[in-house]
Amino acid sequence: MSQAAIRVENLVKVFGGRGRLRPGPPVTAVDDLSFSVEPGSIFGLLGPNGAGKTTTLRILTTLVRPTSGRASVLGHDVEAQPAFVRRNIVVVIQEHAAELLLSVRDNLLTFARFHGLTGAEARGRADRLIDAFGLTAEATRKVQDLSGGQRRRVQVAKAFMVDTPIVFLDEFSTGMDPILKRSVMDMLRREAARGRTIVLTTQVLSEAEELCDDILIIDRGRQIARGDLNALKMLTERMYEVSVTFDRMPADLDAVLARYETLRVRKNHNALSVALKDTESRVLELVTALAARGHLLRIEINGASLEDIFIELTQKGAVS
Amino acid sequence: MTALAAIMTREAKIRATNLLFIFWDLVYPLGYLLVFGVGVNASLGFTTGHAGIGYNAFFLAGVLSMASFGIAANTSWSFFLDRDNGIFYEMLTYPMSRSQYLLGKVLFNVFIGALQSAITVVLAAIVLGVPLRPAGWPLLAAAATVGTAGWFFFYAIFALRIRRNDAFNTVTSVFYFVFLFASSMFYPLDPLPRGFRLVAYANPITWQVDVLRYATIGLGEPWVIAWESAAFVVFTLVAFVLAVVALRGQE
Repeated sequence: MSQAAIRVENLVKVFGGRGRLRPGPPVTAVDDLSFSVEPGSIFGLLGPNGAGKTTTLRILTTLVRPTSGRASVLGHDVEAQPAFVRRNIVVVIQEHAAELLLSVRDNLLTFARFHGLTGAEARGRADRLIDAFGLTAEATRKVQDLSGGQRRRVQVAKAFMVDTPIVFLDEFSTGMDPILKRSVMDMLRREAARGRTIVLTTQVLSEAEELCDDILIIDRGRQIARGDLNALKMLTERMYEVSVTFDRMPADLDAVLARYETLRVRKNHNALSVALKDTESRVLELVTALAARGHLLRIEINGASLEDIFIELTQKGAVS
Repeated sequence: MTALAAIMTREAKIRATNLLFIFWDLVYPLGYLLVFGVGVNASLGFTTGHAGIGYNAFFLAGVLSMASFGIAANTSWSFFLDRDNGIFYEMLTYPMSRSQYLLGKVLFNVFIGALQSAITVVLAAIVLGVPLRPAGWPLLAAAATVGTAGWFFFYAIFALRIRRNDAFNTVTSVFYFVFLFASSMFYPLDPLPRGFRLVAYANPITWQVDVLRYATIGLGEPWVIAWESAAFVVFTLVAFVLAVVALRGQE
């Protein structure tokens, strides 16, 4: 069996409760969390706001010390051997992080130097990434003169400047346009195929659905589900997503939908998307009822999306 | 060495984006000496109490110490800039220890401090006629570099523990007032009231100024200077350890 790229065992992180001036109640951000990540995989850490995703990432990246439990990267304890861990990771933190007074190119070159990459190789990589991230015209401009989205590109580009075995990305796509996001997702897949382990947190569940080989859903610091997309779908039986497009949106749909156990309803112009938990026959009955209300131009029935699974699990607080 | 070189290069690149700042850092001690020193000397007829030593020569050590104090304060203020840029926490995940981070951050500024001292001493000799004392130059270099590092580590403790830059600005203002004026920087301590003298003798600025004064114009007892040098080195080491602890406590 190959060694896990990341292993977390009974990890606990409690903040606060010890302040001398303003003692507050302790807050448990991570609560007895255990998981491992296989080398070369894309691992998604999902959860609602305040679930403990970022705290878990901050522990794994040596920014925060755990209260108890153990976390290791490539077999090395993050507390006992932080220097080894830092040599083997790159981190895109959730907040914007760039050297505002330096140019785009100098940001990349300065970062590379910390990882021992200098000279022609560093310059070549920087130029390729500047091109790939659509920053050629801004290459010599100071980052403080760029837009928020462009700054985020500089920050994410750094993850591709060096070849560390592990990449941590905390909400990496914030501020990116769809085309660039697609391009970065392709790059991440290529990096994983080359053997790098990618760990990402995201609120954009379609990203995780599209990218991740393995997904961990946490809430209030605890694991509530774990597995690949199919395994997670098995956890939520009889969940369907019905999408229809009317030629004109009927007015009395709420009365129809009220008869079903809907998880989510979205209306957009003439399109309706309903996530529901029910039997197959009841789902077909819903489609028939919708068809009776107006002329349908399109009908689509799918199994649950990751978003539906996520909502179902976090509301239920189930432990798989 | 990779980490130290990387962070030193980073600091140099950032400072090099504003050459006016570097120029000002290099020449402002001399400017202070010219304006304040010449002014006091000419207007108030200030005497040092030591034959053959004018106020400009006496004050030279004071401006050198003030300069390293100022560079240290400015460098520690950059923690707030790094926090605002978000880069502070990202840098803590780079392949370097917390002590390398602090050392690397101050190295370039120590270099600037040493260069600043050399320029000030030479130009003070040329412009103000302060006598050069080459025998004291090694001690001068040591006092300027250790001084800048020591004050940076001292300020870093507060910059890392205080989260609001307006609160840190208040702290630095108080420090400037207390450390600089309750010391031997501007005047000899002997004629002062006993309580003032005791405070001044306990002030690390006094230790640094006395060492610099001995290095520049040979004023002071060698055994006192030796004790003060040792005390300042201890102060620097303690400040360094406390700054590393403060940096490790960043969560």
